[in-house]
Amino acid sequence: MPAMSPTMTEGNIASWKVKEGDLFSTGDVLLEIETDKAQMEVEAQDDGKMAKIMQEAGSKGVKVGTRIAVLAGTDDNLSTLTLPAEESVPSPSPQDDLQAGIDDSKSSRSKAKAPSSSKNENSPSVNTSKPPVPSTSSGKVQKQGYPLYPSITQLLHENGVSSAEAEKIPASGPKGRLLKGDVLGYLGRISSTYSSEQSARITKLGHLDLSNVEPAPPKAMAPSQPSKAQARKVPESESEPTNTEIAIPISLSSVISVQNRIQATLGITLPLSTFIARATELANNDLPRSAATGPSADDLFNQILGLNSVSTRTSRGNYLPQVSALPETPSMERADLRRQPDVYEMLTGPSSVSTRVLEVPRPGITDGSKTGDLSNVFSVSAAKGDEKRARSFLERVKTILQVEPGKLVLLSEQVDR
Amino acid sequence: MIRTLIPRSASRSATRPLSCSSTLQPTGFCLYTSRNRGYATEASEHDLIIIGGGVAGYVAAIKAGQEGMKVACIEKRGALGGTCLNVGCIPSKSLLNNSHMYHQILHDTKKRGIDVGDVKLNLKQMMAAKNTSVDGLTKGVEFLFKKNKVEYIKGAGAFSGEHEVTVNLIDGGEQTLRGKNIFVATGSEATPFPGLTIDEKKVVTSTGAIALESVPKKMVVIGGGIIGLEMGSVWSRLGSEVTVVEFLGQIGGPGMDAEISKTTKKILEKQGMKFKLGTKVLKGDSSGDGVKLEVEAAKGGKAETLDADVVLVAIGRRPYTAGLGLENIGLDVDNKGRLIIDEQYRTKLPHIRVIGDCTFGPMLAHKAEEEGVAAVEFVKKGYGHVNYNAIPSVMYTHPEVAWVGQNEAELKEQGVKYKVGSFPFSANSRAKTNLETEGMVKFVADAETDRILGIHIVGPNAGEMIAEGVLAIEYGASSEDVGRTSHAHPTLAEAFKEAAMATYGKAIHY
Repeated sequence: MPAMSPTMTEGNIASWKVKEGDLFSTGDVLLEIETDKAQMEVEAQDDGKMAKIMQEAGSKGVKVGTRIAVLAGTDDNLSTLTLPAEESVPSPSPQDDLQAGIDDSKSSRSKAKAPSSSKNENSPSVNTSKPPVPSTSSGKVQKQGYPLYPSITQLLHENGVSSAEAEKIPASGPKGRLLKGDVLGYLGRISSTYSSEQSARITKLGHLDLSNVEPAPPKAMAPSQPSKAQARKVPESESEPTNTEIAIPISLSSVISVQNRIQATLGITLPLSTFIARATELANNDLPRSAATGPSADDLFNQILGLNSVSTRTSRGNYLPQVSALPETPSMERADLRRQPDVYEMLTGPSSVSTRVLEVPRPGITDGSKTGDLSNVFSVSAAKGDEKRARSFLERVKTILQVEPGKLVLLSEQVDR
Repeated sequence: MIRTLIPRSASRSATRPLSCSSTLQPTGFCLYTSRNRGYATEASEHDLIIIGGGVAGYVAAIKAGQEGMKVACIEKRGALGGTCLNVGCIPSKSLLNNSHMYHQILHDTKKRGIDVGDVKLNLKQMMAAKNTSVDGLTKGVEFLFKKNKVEYIKGAGAFSGEHEVTVNLIDGGEQTLRGKNIFVATGSEATPFPGLTIDEKKVVTSTGAIALESVPKKMVVIGGGIIGLEMGSVWSRLGSEVTVVEFLGQIGGPGMDAEISKTTKKILEKQGMKFKLGTKVLKGDSSGDGVKLEVEAAKGGKAETLDADVVLVAIGRRPYTAGLGLENIGLDVDNKGRLIIDEQYRTKLPHIRVIGDCTFGPMLAHKAEEEGVAAVEFVKKGYGHVNYNAIPSVMYTHPEVAWVGQNEAELKEQGVKYKVGSFPFSANSRAKTNLETEGMVKFVADAETDRILGIHIVGPNAGEMIAEGVLAIEYGASSEDVGRTSHAHPTLAEAFKEAAMATYGKAIHY
């Protein structure tokens, strides 16, 4: 399996374009390889004959360097050839042979027997002089489509290497460029694998090191998660340890009567969470800006420059209220609230609001149907300086839920449609 | 999911005659909002929304516009270009250049045969010149937006849904945008020094340091990195007594080659800057007229107090993601506040990508720029690439310092065998004629293959010269390849060639 890119470690064989025994000439497409990134054609570097295909089309995850086929010279008689073993394999056992890399010039000198375990071929011996894809280097032989580097031209001339021969030197440089180190390795001045190992190291440097990412510890989570709609609390300001809990009681009676009415007339049950989510959405609009955000360094500089600075009147909030039910306490007002409101009152009219001193709330929304309790405590957590912002958010939620839940219904119906 | 559902339904309802958008608002709501506000006026969906109009963001926006995408760029500063153009690279270079001219006229022109009479500093005019440069460039970016059909939205954007950004507009009101893809390019801010309150007058970051109203008598710079040394240079040239306090044992930060760092320190000391290396600042007090800093040797030693009129805090920068609503869509940051991404700049929501200073890698404008282009290419073409090994660093002191690739210490740590070749500007003919002979060019190449692993320059014009080094590294060149390439005579670049020759053989002129 040839490495089609420096980072490729394995590939799939999409299809073979030649069959065993077929002749091919330089530039013919031998096979198509696909990786997770791309599909590429492998061209023949020289004229020859397909001696044997070891990895059939459709093979997946073939490691780079694994033998996928054996090529022979055009004149070789396949019936008399012996498959070579690889130099990297010390003992030419059949199993090792299967694992070994593609043939190269040295290996073919030691003529091993064909792997008896794989298939029943005769004993082909391979044209040894022209390795199509040498495995000594992860760099691949590639016609250099631009002028050779000055150092390389010099080396080639000094050592009497023809430019035709130079094209067969495996190139390990960026985008398949031939480097001085590749030529030095080819000439035997340095280890033949050194240049490609170095290229692998440098390629790695070219990528962001995302190996040891340590995520920040999660921020404080909501103490309880009463329902799906209120699944999480959104901290308004990061890294503010001094958060204050702001809570107000809100009666859900109007909402519930609207809900009942809709169920009675349309047969649709709208969950309370829909009402609350919708009210939250509306109430988050245009909240007063946090007192904690003073002018930033940029604002200051913008003032000096006389540039516009960001207007700081209002901004959208990110609050999600926590809802807890109140313990049941008898109340005069509740009797009033439980009477059926007429349509006009339901959609537009104000209703009386209970404001009592809070006792320990228990989590969860109460719909009041069993306990008769219609008030819930809505709370949000506000960073220091954000109390006003949080409070006005809650006040709005309250107004929307208690005064005009009818509007929310119109919206909800559209959502459901 | 409910949160994302709501605005979508709102936009749908707005198109229906039966329920105009005003029905979305309960009448009681008007009690709280006195001015009339329309519900988010939503146009059709954008192909790409970019939060942040700094170098990463604006480059990505222009690139996306050129690729034919429907793109919007959100910027809250009121001017495009981000930190770099407005309060960073660009204004500081204006001051560095002009303060250098002033300094040269005061101290250097006489020996060159130019007698100048009364030399006076007009700081106000120097700042005005800087502002002219900044304004021209930011307006230039705005022009490029128009040219490439990028929608420019002035305001602070925050995620209100996975595909939705709500913009708190500078001119009041609010706008909600929907995007198939969203890029986060919110940049970075100066890391504050614990215990010192930044007022940008007495205790300043780089932002305040480019806008001081008078030349401070004494200035202390906390942090001997690139920003600290550049701004320290400016005010030192204009007459301040500048002391740089650095925790590490060398200036220039950990990326600068140790030999180059030492040479640079000597040169800057000659210019009048003072250095306290291996020294940590214990605490500061800015309550009085000036600022008092208590420092002691990092490895333990006696403490001393430094007095300053202005303290520049230049201990680094940190990602800036405040107010972005990351928590609304559950995006993660790492322990340094950087948004977590994969190799294609994607967050765990793959349509949201992060580029520039607010994520990983060096905080450099040109790195951000490369990422802006690569990220758009990932969206549009499925593949983009930035070679992080070939990103140059430049310090614009005088002389300049520039480098690319790895330094000696990094290679030693990795156990790579290398050879070094260097060439001093004192042996370069052009440097001699310019009477600017300080510094050198240094190549680090592999001992076996001669492939260039790093190039480090301190000297005149180093910042321009490094471009050739970046090209060499990008192409995997050996020092011999550079040494066999013709360089014009007489130029400073000949020193570059000769250093390459000294790496694989011998320099001719040294």
